[in-house]
Amino acid sequence: MIERRTFRAMGTEIELLVEADGAAGALEAAEGEFHRLEALLSRFREDSELSRLNRDGALAAGPDLRRVVELALAARERTGGRFDPTVHNALVAAGYDRTFEDIASESHVRCQAPDVALGDARVDGTRIELDPGVRLDLGGIGKGYAAERAAEILATAGPCLVNAGGDIAVRGGRWPVGVETAAEPLTLELSRGGLATSGRDRRRWRRNGRDLHHLIDPRTGEPAETDLLRVTVIAPDAVEAEIAATSLFLAGADRAAREADAAGVAAVLVTGDGRTIFAGGLARAA
Amino acid sequence: MTSHTGRLYALAFALVAFFLAWAVVAAHPWTTVARDKRLQALAAREAQLRQEAKLVNQVVAQRWAVYRSELQLRRAQIAAAKTRATQAAASYSASAAPASPSVRVVTLPPLTITRTS
Repeated sequence: MIERRTFRAMGTEIELLVEADGAAGALEAAEGEFHRLEALLSRFREDSELSRLNRDGALAAGPDLRRVVELALAARERTGGRFDPTVHNALVAAGYDRTFEDIASESHVRCQAPDVALGDARVDGTRIELDPGVRLDLGGIGKGYAAERAAEILATAGPCLVNAGGDIAVRGGRWPVGVETAAEPLTLELSRGGLATSGRDRRRWRRNGRDLHHLIDPRTGEPAETDLLRVTVIAPDAVEAEIAATSLFLAGADRAAREADAAGVAAVLVTGDGRTIFAGGLARAA
Repeated sequence: MTSHTGRLYALAFALVAFFLAWAVVAAHPWTTVARDKRLQALAAREAQLRQEAKLVNQVVAQRWAVYRSELQLRRAQIAAAKTRATQAAASYSASAAPASPSVRVVTLPPLTITRTS
């Protein structure tokens, strides 16, 4: 029997699925983990560890924030800067300066000039230090991290799946996951690992007649311009999937397909002109 | 003359003996000296307080020992929880998540949907 729980956290809908009877305790604990991590990692909460780090430029941080920052900085190295947690100021400049629910409810979005003044961040023991003016955004990777942590807790009750607004972590079982493509719906069966989708079809707003979205290209400091609409990646865990999905989205369709094939990263690329590309060894069902 | 003087001495001796006997009888040498009741009450109260203080000290000592023991236990639990949290944060992908994902395209209806996060 599959038990399901849904709730809102981290600015999105969270869904917990576990194949077990009497998993109420594990579901409760997994939900609590999301709220705990949101209180640490949200840039929209004044009292979160991340907000204090962004405000003060340095912080003796707890293990979760340190780990997420370490993962994000390592991803920046690995992706050649395509995935970059220091795009916070660029996101704010583009108008994403409050929760997306608030942005969606306002007709006028405050925007500033693009911000490409990216800098460095360091984790030294328990201390995180930012270069002057640098602020971090851990929105995407934070959700992936939270999904993995919650899945770890939920797995004590049985095979489980955690879906944090598209960032999915799986522990055991067989879970059919729907993926939006350009044409017919696609279902991927996942029994272990993580899955994430990045794209410009949601979390978007308009400014001066121009569509803007939340995926910033660190090279320009502006919402990325790419022929891709959406990228779904399957990886060893939800954090890796989130990083790879963002990186491939910024690469553009052709390059993303080549990179996914070369790295053996299973990916579904949906282009703006309505094509669906399977890459990284993933094949369409017969 | 001699007889008259003798009678005077005898009278004087009798008077002295009488008053001495009177003084001895008035002193009640056969009874014990009674102490002041207030002093007795104070002494009893002091003894009671000393006894109670001893008992209180014993209780405080016992509770302090229990507190120290529980504090030590709690500190050990906090340290263990911190260690677990640090280890979990550091190694979630290495220990819990699989090394490679397992995925295939199927024609089943989905249980959940991934969208742009």
